[in-house]
Amino acid sequence: MNIRSTRPYAIAATAILGGAALAAGPAGATTEPVGDFAGTVRVGAALSETGRYEREGEDVRQGYDLWAEWVNDEYGGIRVGDDRYGVEIVYYDDESDADTVANLTERLITEDEVDFLLGPYGSDLTMGSSAIAEQHDMIMVEGNGASEDVFARGFQNVFGVLTPAGNYTQSALQALAEAGAETMVIAYEDTAFPTSVMEGAQRWAEEYGFEVLAIETYPEGVTDVTAIFTTFRDLDPDVFVGGGHFNDALLFMTTADELGFEPNAFVITVGPSNPEFADELGELAEGVIGPTQWESVMTWEDEYFGTASEYAARYEERWDEVPTYQAAESTATALTLQLAIEAAGSLETDAVRTALQELDVETFYGPISFDETGKNASKPMGFIQIQDGEIVTVGPADVAEAELIYPLGE
Amino acid sequence: MTELLQATINGVAIGGFYGSVALGFSLVWGVLGVINLAHGELVMVGAYLTWIMHRNHGWDPFAAVVVVVPVMFVVGYVLQRMLINRVIDKPHLTALLVTFALSIIISNVVKLRYAGTPRSVRAAWSGSWRHGDVTIPVTRFWVLVFTVVLMLALWAFLRYSRLGAAIRAASQNREAARIVGIDIGRVFALTFGIGAALAGIAGMLASPLLPVFPTMGPPLTLRSFAIVAIAGLGRIHGALLGGIVLGLVEQYVATYVPEYGTTLGIIASFALLVTILVLRPRGLFGGLRPAH
Amino acid sequence: MRWRPATRRRNRVPAVLAVLVVALAVLPLLRDSTGFVSDSRLFTMTQMFMAITVASSWNLTGGFTGYVDFGHAAWFGIGAYGTGVIMSKLSWPFVPALLAGAAVAAVAAALIGSATLRLRGPYFSIAMLGTFVTMREVARVWRPLTGGGSGLTMPPILDRPLFYYVTFAYLVVVVAFAFWLRRTRFGASLVAIREDEIGAEMRGVNTTVAKSAVFTVAGFITGIVGGLWGYQNSYLSPGIAFVEARTVDAVMMTILGGLGTVAGPVIGGAVLFWLRDVVWANFLDYHLLVQGVLLIIVVLYVPEGIVGKLRRRSGAVAITRVWRRADARRRAEPHGAQPS
Repeated sequence: MNIRSTRPYAIAATAILGGAALAAGPAGATTEPVGDFAGTVRVGAALSETGRYEREGEDVRQGYDLWAEWVNDEYGGIRVGDDRYGVEIVYYDDESDADTVANLTERLITEDEVDFLLGPYGSDLTMGSSAIAEQHDMIMVEGNGASEDVFARGFQNVFGVLTPAGNYTQSALQALAEAGAETMVIAYEDTAFPTSVMEGAQRWAEEYGFEVLAIETYPEGVTDVTAIFTTFRDLDPDVFVGGGHFNDALLFMTTADELGFEPNAFVITVGPSNPEFADELGELAEGVIGPTQWESVMTWEDEYFGTASEYAARYEERWDEVPTYQAAESTATALTLQLAIEAAGSLETDAVRTALQELDVETFYGPISFDETGKNASKPMGFIQIQDGEIVTVGPADVAEAELIYPLGE
Repeated sequence: MTELLQATINGVAIGGFYGSVALGFSLVWGVLGVINLAHGELVMVGAYLTWIMHRNHGWDPFAAVVVVVPVMFVVGYVLQRMLINRVIDKPHLTALLVTFALSIIISNVVKLRYAGTPRSVRAAWSGSWRHGDVTIPVTRFWVLVFTVVLMLALWAFLRYSRLGAAIRAASQNREAARIVGIDIGRVFALTFGIGAALAGIAGMLASPLLPVFPTMGPPLTLRSFAIVAIAGLGRIHGALLGGIVLGLVEQYVATYVPEYGTTLGIIASFALLVTILVLRPRGLFGGLRPAH
Repeated sequence: MRWRPATRRRNRVPAVLAVLVVALAVLPLLRDSTGFVSDSRLFTMTQMFMAITVASSWNLTGGFTGYVDFGHAAWFGIGAYGTGVIMSKLSWPFVPALLAGAAVAAVAAALIGSATLRLRGPYFSIAMLGTFVTMREVARVWRPLTGGGSGLTMPPILDRPLFYYVTFAYLVVVVAFAFWLRRTRFGASLVAIREDEIGAEMRGVNTTVAKSAVFTVAGFITGIVGGLWGYQNSYLSPGIAFVEARTVDAVMMTILGGLGTVAGPVIGGAVLFWLRDVVWANFLDYHLLVQGVLLIIVVLYVPEGIVGKLRRRSGAVAITRVWRRADARRRAEPHGAQPS
């Protein structure tokens, strides 16, 4: 005998079908071009408006928007052959989640039918998003996913304008070696991006003659690194190289202080170039070196946004805050796409792809040209040092504004 | 040998901090019978309060206790009256789910207000004391001292004050306590308030040691559970002991295993939790109530 | 006047379900790039199917048997890694690797269950949470096998309709299995364990074997979903394979739908996905906050879930009965520890 009522199943049926029917999902937010254009180039971007990358996601969005507004309002539209096209960017929030960004990228391609894609923030999200792009044969230019894994898959459609992870520590280590440093210790978070950076660091250490005394890893979300720093302190190295996330940077400096660990230099991959680092740590942040993709005092220049500092002024006027490198590289990403379209003279995927492969240009963000894996092989990593509480660009030497202080005196 | 000594010092130091976190958790569980999965979030709120005082008024974290205690006590009292009260006589799953939902709510509210950027606080007593090859971190030392004082104060309160007696009575036998005229509802609310205040103090102690951010809570809650499992429920000195055991395990593994030590230390501490629960369901030193 | 024997009303359930299954099965055939049925829509549905499957398998231990597992997402991750490692290290093709990966998850569940299933109530729940965290870090540390923190890449395969069909078919199988299980003697013994374990033991139910069996099966079922997800994602790392939110989702869906019922996880899952996609999409900052509030409301005021609310008969979801019984037991027990 059927002792169960049929109601629940009917409800289930309706729920599922209803779910399917109504799961239309959010419509993408867009910036529509206003003006007299022969057509519109539609570009899609899934960004982290919420979630752990919310902060950076906002920077990326502002970078992309700054470009779009400039193209539509000042530049007169992208040149496609003899015509000028307005640009429209379609945005979705990926919630800093890998599954979501893949889904949204697909939506941009199949439902919104964008012409090109701009990358999300973070290597992990870029991994997923770019895989979708490649599978649909859609070009993605990105500027916020530096992990080597992004470029190690033999993809043809993914191009990254930022300096890849393996080269993050190169210029800093070179400068330190020249200043006399000989020994080093490494500590990093055991996830994709920091691992890439530190594998690169070990290569550069070998190239510049460093002796690596110890390597330690820690898991995501670590709350205590006392054991690591105790070991390091006993080894007394010249240079400490470390990295993971902003949390870790704070933890490093407070722990170093507590244990009396005083190497001649601290190189931390994520944190120091963010003003909040010096802000939160006060004098504990003094002298810390951090790689940076871009600083506004660098003397790169182009005919579109001018010098780095002119770009910064424009950004500040628009968004009421100083641009971070995430914002700058986002504008540069979009600019690169534009230049490729103009060089190709069309919106055809194959033509634009070829144009990207052949591109070789200096922008306010730095030189951009791609190797066969899609990496930007020509852009050197900059680095800053916190001097008197200020973020000061000390490398690469030809664009630096001050000298590297080594060793840290106390 | 000095490596062992240093690792022991590190373990005791962080263990003292873990103990302070477990105090409030243990008290609430022991008296109300509620496993508060939002305990870590209460700690986090205490840490934020401390940071706010430090950032906006320049207060030293240890001084923030005068603000943290009353604020967190009120927060706890109100939470108990409004919400926790409804799960007290329900099965454990209800309490777990409700407090879990509460933890999500609290961490998201804080995130909306203060964003996810991690914060840091520096105590005036900081740096380290060197003695030959051994270093004692100053702030952690004082955190340990504070924890011990706190425990003694709590013990004395429970032992010698009227309210303390009422709390102990309520936790031993609710019906009998009611019969002798104790207002159980009020006792529960006050106890939860005290538990929240203890959590707030733990957060205050955390702020110079760890980065402060909205989702820092869950690992602390999980560690509190581990400590109670090790040390038994409602035992105040047990919280400190349990914390130290946990801290030592983490530090020994992290120190002696190269490269992957820190990760293994975390595995070890959770494996320890599971092992103890399985082998000695009453906790390592007895005292855990059997679940029904 | 003729006596009309009480005619059983024609059971409409199979018809309704058949329509539903056919409709969902046909959906991908309507696929075109614009409008309604796009690849990304199929992808969302696929994710929903996977989530509901995980919730259904969680319900086997949590709902049927009363052992609330807060670490359920561990089997997902183990299945994902098992499949991924076997495919990349041993070069097995997908289907055998998937089965093997899920088998690994099942074995892990059996081993861990042999220890943790001895615990009751919250101790079990939290021990499983501890196990989950441990599994994630083990995946991170065991670099030679799993690629450690950098993760594991597999050859990408993009075939949305294929995955849609596979996950949908699998969901149907799993729900049918749960439906069937509930009506067997074994299923009844699980419910007996939930209601009164000691009593069940005394009545001859081998509770240890029963618990272990259902736990292992749940591990296997979830392991398969993990393997499917991993393959579709083509990239694994400890941080994305072992995600607490998957356990939370499973719990939320089941509770919302009706803990211990077969339709519960399905309905709860569909409702939750619908809420997320439609309602909360516009209030993204508050999304988790609202979910927390919703959970509290459901747990306190609608503990029997949607299905329970719909059922009028006393054969309805037993959870309220369980609670009343547990309640009475608690009142009878003297209260515990002395603070010292």
